[in-house]
Amino acid sequence: MRNDWLITFRSITFAQRGERLLGRMGITAAIQRTPKALAERGCSYSLRIRENDGADAVEILRKYQLPFLKIYILENDDAQEQIL
Amino acid sequence: MIYLDNGATSLYKPPSVKKAMLWAMENCGNPGRGGYPTAMAAAETVYRCRETAAELFDCMPEQVVLTPGCTFGLNMAIRTLVAPGDRVVITGFEHNAVTRPLHILGAKVTVAGRKLFRWDEMLENWEKQLNHGADAAVFTHVSNVFGYILPVEEMADMCRKRGIPFIMDAAQSAGVLPVSLKKLGADFIAIPGHKGLLGPQGTGILLCGRLPKPLTAGGTGSESENQFMPDFLPDIGEAGTPNVPGIAGLGAAMDFICGEGTKRIFRVEHEAMACCAEGLRKMGVRVFAGEHQAATVSFLPAGDCEETARALAERGIALRAGLHCAPLAHESAGTLKTGTVRVSFGRDASFAQVERFLEELQGVF
Repeated sequence: MRNDWLITFRSITFAQRGERLLGRMGITAAIQRTPKALAERGCSYSLRIRENDGADAVEILRKYQLPFLKIYILENDDAQEQIL
Repeated sequence: MIYLDNGATSLYKPPSVKKAMLWAMENCGNPGRGGYPTAMAAAETVYRCRETAAELFDCMPEQVVLTPGCTFGLNMAIRTLVAPGDRVVITGFEHNAVTRPLHILGAKVTVAGRKLFRWDEMLENWEKQLNHGADAAVFTHVSNVFGYILPVEEMADMCRKRGIPFIMDAAQSAGVLPVSLKKLGADFIAIPGHKGLLGPQGTGILLCGRLPKPLTAGGTGSESENQFMPDFLPDIGEAGTPNVPGIAGLGAAMDFICGEGTKRIFRVEHEAMACCAEGLRKMGVRVFAGEHQAATVSFLPAGDCEETARALAERGIALRAGLHCAPLAHESAGTLKTGTVRVSFGRDASFAQVERFLEELQGVF
């Protein structure tokens, strides 16, 4: 079972910047709509990342000061917020 | 037809522009509104345009607000920085896209620098007026009437040192001269998509060094429960569905410019302008030419400027006469009553164009 990570952003532009940045660092990230239950102020976009790359991805986004909202680990249909 | 009205709009676009626009019309949904392939294709198209603009203008992609044109961007920037009654310093070469919004807002406008091609006079007066105190400053990079390249780096530096927020109008320079948001430290730089950038009409860019006040409010695809506009770039400045085919074309056009290099484009256009100015001088007409000039040159014909342009149009020469929406620039040059005939070259500029134009003008005289 895969436990993908979901990193949420305020807008699609930041998600896209994140996707490009992670891609340059060798991490594949897929842009998707944030599930409604996790979108705090309405619509937003997220990056979905494989579990093994999750921690590295977060470190890179922080290092390059790319603002994101929250990090979730998806387990089956549930999402657990991670405080890292 | 010889097209010499690139100051108004570039007519001959790279073929990739039309191709990108057609592709977008057939393949793009609404960007930032869905997660299905055509919506994501649109979002990717828009982001690629932002990325290319960020590369060309030395900023972050989110600092690129896509607008319907330079005028829209200037209005947004002016309404962000200027309140009624504010003292605003501008140059004597501003377009109505700057002066009208300031007038309508009720700003107290001071004009600094009115002599063509004289950087010393411009800088001396600019500094003097800034020293009297200003709430904001607005300056053009290149005069749309005379092609005069202003000493914008020094002018920006003077503003920065005094903490005066400023806007640069890059309507005639983007795509031809270096424009860097980072280096200039501007609050805003407004750019049209359809002139030097070679993109389609109805596109533009506002480079934002700070958050703008939105001119329009509406859907952004983000923070939908928030009844104010999102307080982050670029969403704050982009309400409603964007012009995706236009943005696709603009992105392709900027890719072309990055490939060609602005230096090469400027050299070709400038050589033609200098040759044209020299030819006009030899014909004995009054030519407005000097140091620090881009690819535009104005002249005073023997007869009425509009009649001269009409006669030239009949001979297959397309150019513009009159006040060029910049009465202030004409007032500065002393041509408000007569207007001028303006020749503005584009990336297809050549000596053959210049020769043909001069021949036809001789025929008109």
